[in-house]
Amino acid sequence: MYRRRHNITARIFDRQIHTPPPGTSVHRARRFYENIVPSSTIYDVECPDHSFRKFTEDGKYLISFSRNHQELIVYRPTWLSFSCKQEDCDSQDLPQKAKKFESFFTQLYSVPLASANELICKDFFLYAESNQFGLFATSTAQIYDAPATGGAIQGVPSIEKITFHLLRLEDGVVLDERVFCNDYINLAHSMGVFIFDDLLAIVSLRYQRIHILQIRDSGSLVDLRAIGEFCREDDELFLNSSTQASADKRGPQHLLSNNIVNVPRTEQPAQESPFLSGIKQRLLSFIVRGIQNEEKDETLRIQTLKKKFYFHFQDYVDLIIWKVQFLDRHHLLIKFGSVDGAVSRNADSHPAFFAVYNMESTEIIAFYQMSSEELYLLFEQYCDHFHIPSKSSPYMNFISSHSNNIHALEQLKSSKNKATSFPLFIKKVLVSLPFNCQSQSPSPYFDQSLFRFDEKLISAADRHRQSTDHPIKFILRRPPHTLKFKIKPGPEAGVTDCRTKRISSFLFHPILPLALSVQQTLFLQPAVVNIHFRR
Amino acid sequence: MGSWSVGNWPSFDPHNFSQLRPNDPSKKTPITYHPTHERTLPPPDQVISSEAKNILLRQFYQRGDEKLRPKRAAPENLAPEQECKHPRASVASSSEPPK
Repeated sequence: MYRRRHNITARIFDRQIHTPPPGTSVHRARRFYENIVPSSTIYDVECPDHSFRKFTEDGKYLISFSRNHQELIVYRPTWLSFSCKQEDCDSQDLPQKAKKFESFFTQLYSVPLASANELICKDFFLYAESNQFGLFATSTAQIYDAPATGGAIQGVPSIEKITFHLLRLEDGVVLDERVFCNDYINLAHSMGVFIFDDLLAIVSLRYQRIHILQIRDSGSLVDLRAIGEFCREDDELFLNSSTQASADKRGPQHLLSNNIVNVPRTEQPAQESPFLSGIKQRLLSFIVRGIQNEEKDETLRIQTLKKKFYFHFQDYVDLIIWKVQFLDRHHLLIKFGSVDGAVSRNADSHPAFFAVYNMESTEIIAFYQMSSEELYLLFEQYCDHFHIPSKSSPYMNFISSHSNNIHALEQLKSSKNKATSFPLFIKKVLVSLPFNCQSQSPSPYFDQSLFRFDEKLISAADRHRQSTDHPIKFILRRPPHTLKFKIKPGPEAGVTDCRTKRISSFLFHPILPLALSVQQTLFLQPAVVNIHFRR
Repeated sequence: MGSWSVGNWPSFDPHNFSQLRPNDPSKKTPITYHPTHERTLPPPDQVISSEAKNILLRQFYQRGDEKLRPKRAAPENLAPEQECKHPRASVASSSEPPK
């Protein structure tokens, strides 16, 4: 039995003489990350007071925003250039002048994105890797209780102006902008926007439209379609021409009934059409056909329809689009729910439904409830297909999930067995669908087959966590199961004041053994930034 | 000597392999098998191409087709109140005809 050697030099020699099993070249290359770990830490490094957002997926840029949320600053990650002339270099500590932020990052440019009354949404950043374009969003203040005008949904707040900026990250040139006025798009954690290759899906919650845009190589954003009220590009033209014809016929009768008061009308009143159009019509007809086909007997069929569909008809009609993701270039996974759930923080308590929609044929392919077992089984088996594969960088497809990693699957199965109620468990798991785009770090240190770490304290998902004083340990999964490195956010000596709540966020470089940990209190004190790297 | 020298292959000593006797020339290559039936021939209009939809979408389409097929009385319920466990065997992808 060939015993796998752990020494890095031995591993390099083994790589020269052994071919890996087919299809495992990325896994084999990743195993070297067991030896190259960010074990050194520079605590509380002096750095500019920006909020660091993330590394881009190819590792070429570090995106950060100024504290006043008006400027974008982009850094290039580099490495220390420091040479040691003494005999025993490993035990030497780094000189003070090497322990700087600038040793690892060079600023490329600083671009003001937001004008006077706008702020950059610092939770929002999407990266189009093939062209190295970055998508950012600026918005004005949110207006709650906005009146529902012009086809808007009642109950959804309104933002006066949301602007999406497309930047070329190499030099910071703004290539294109797309403005949405008096609209509401969920910008937190990039929830309302999904990017796949060169396609963008933007969900306008207020007007219930999914805008599909294409990012051209030249950097322009091109509208492809707007799904919601109308499914195909020429639906609007067709419906307008037919309503125009019927309005002309009804015109004289209208005036007769209103001859007492001559109300000047500045705009055409919205036609109260008895027909549902667009995606709502597709959805309801799919539901009806599905229920109809359940029963062969005619009378039983009507009974079932009454019970399952007509009884809940108004609830189905009132469903609104919450969130959208691409499943491939033609298919969308859409989450529907009630108006209250769309804007509330705790969306779990509100009922939600999933639908798969084909944009080309404008058909709904599937419709599931939140606690659907069928959807859960598909999610358990094919989770990776919900995170659609990216063609540009192969290692993006190797982010650990329970469909590609035995340890993550075991964890899921154990929590499934521990769950008291299976439908509630399904709900809890499916609440993450549709996925937030680019929210998981591709760093190999989060690969579950390489390292074991406490998921509550740190994980591939980029969200803020409660900070602890204890360092977070990364232990090898494989023999010899040793502790390889620790990540400790915050100052070296620990924090004396235990009462204030601290949150940490971690930025791992996708390729280099480099990580930033940022610890903040909630009171806008300057953040403590540590750099973790391999010496 | 024999088949070795026929190829004019280089060797240190031309007398090497002089004791070698070639195989019985009457038993050279076995006859290639040609099928006597036509069961394994592909249909003349068959085109092999890769499936454009990924496996997840194929599953969605398959289940959607099952639900909407009028003849079959599907046991699955989509209703909000009733949820019954359907047997896992319905996932069987072998029931899908190869495309």
